[in-house]
Amino acid sequence: MTRMSRRPAALLILAGVLWTSGCAEYPADPDRSLAQAREGELSVGVVEHPPWTDLSGQHPAGSEVELISSYADRIGAQIRWVPGSESELVGLMADHELDLIIGGFDENTPWASEAAPTRPYATPGDDPGRIVLVEQGENALLTDLETYFIERRTR
Amino acid sequence: MSRFGHTELPQVQKQALRAARRLQWIWLGILSLTVVAMAAVMGNSQAMKTAWIEDMLSFLPPLAFLIGARLATRTPNERFPFGYHRAVGVGHLVSGVALAGVGLLLIADGGSSLMLGERPPIGVVSVFGTPVWLGWLMMLVALASCIAPVILGRIKRRLAEQLHDKVLRADADMNRADWLTGLATAAGVAGIGFGWWWADAAAALVISVSITKDGWENIRDAIRDLTDARATTVDNSAPHPLIARINSRLLKDPRVVSAQTRARDEGHVLHVESFVQVAGSEVEVCWLNELRRSCAELDWRIQDLVLTVTAEPHQEADSSA
Repeated sequence: MTRMSRRPAALLILAGVLWTSGCAEYPADPDRSLAQAREGELSVGVVEHPPWTDLSGQHPAGSEVELISSYADRIGAQIRWVPGSESELVGLMADHELDLIIGGFDENTPWASEAAPTRPYATPGDDPGRIVLVEQGENALLTDLETYFIERRTR
Repeated sequence: MSRFGHTELPQVQKQALRAARRLQWIWLGILSLTVVAMAAVMGNSQAMKTAWIEDMLSFLPPLAFLIGARLATRTPNERFPFGYHRAVGVGHLVSGVALAGVGLLLIADGGSSLMLGERPPIGVVSVFGTPVWLGWLMMLVALASCIAPVILGRIKRRLAEQLHDKVLRADADMNRADWLTGLATAAGVAGIGFGWWWADAAAALVISVSITKDGWENIRDAIRDLTDARATTVDNSAPHPLIARINSRLLKDPRVVSAQTRARDEGHVLHVESFVQVAGSEVEVCWLNELRRSCAELDWRIQDLVLTVTAEPHQEADSSA
């Protein structure tokens, strides 16, 4: 390669880096889940599973409900809670109706091929670690949520 | 290790063999590291998985070479009167079949991911408490893993020519083509980052097609040699030049009227049968013996040479000189 032809290649790489860093999201969501949540609503499926989730009261409660509520505060989203059974909610998620599903799922969840499990949100001490299910392939939302989990632990 | 069967290797080939063996051990070491690194960051990317399986398969050709080159050094015996040179061809065939088989499986795998619209999730890992998108690590490992094979492939190719070793040659070509795998994998993961979920499966398809192509070429070349096709140069592009050189050496003798030679590739060495027709009706054993010796001296690859005097020219053997 000559000097002349190397320069456009370097410019192209530089442009690519600038573009990705200038981009709102990298990695991005194929279905814009995170962007839509920031603009308004985060749809969260809830499976009854105390103490992580508790649907006996008027509003959903439990440690995972609190976790997701504080995450939603961080990104400025309103939460739409959708109660249901595991298979119902996973079906809704496949139809792009839900962004997240909570319900005390652990790392060995059988739904790993239908939905993307996050990294365990608590310390790895609890065995097996508890996770949240994210819509498959929505990598901006997955990355943002997992980043929140890591930063929450180091704080 | 300075001989192949009864064949004493010339100095250049001795050094080439030593260098090739050392290089293949180094390559096996690098490959092991690559496989571990790839597995650590593989995640849910189909392209990464396919590239990782390709790396696992890359163990086969160097192993086939090391085993084949070791077996070929055994001297011929009563059970194996032609020596063990075919070990190279067997290794060649086995690695070809493995490559093609797994390549086809991966095409089906990548194709079904694409058709079902599977969207690969890639999250973050914590690097000393800092969240890092796993995709960056994937791209880094994928690109880094194709540097060594591209360099080693160039050296191996030169050694393969010197040793007349087709397994080494095929391995070198696979290594040289590894940049495609690295680049395709990185592009697939980068695509996921842009929200193009199909980029990953498409990249996986590109890689699996290249694996299948490697396998097919290995199978084709190995079968060609195992079924005693005419010996060719190490890249299979032309008949082996030694055939014509033997004929012209035979024709130099004033008593030889015409000569034909057929040669098959045993791995590193050639087995050669030459047929000559002579003026007059009698030949002396010592003349025939001297003629044979002068041909065998042409090259280290043709120590196993049979020379016969026949009344009629041989039909299929090559008479070019």
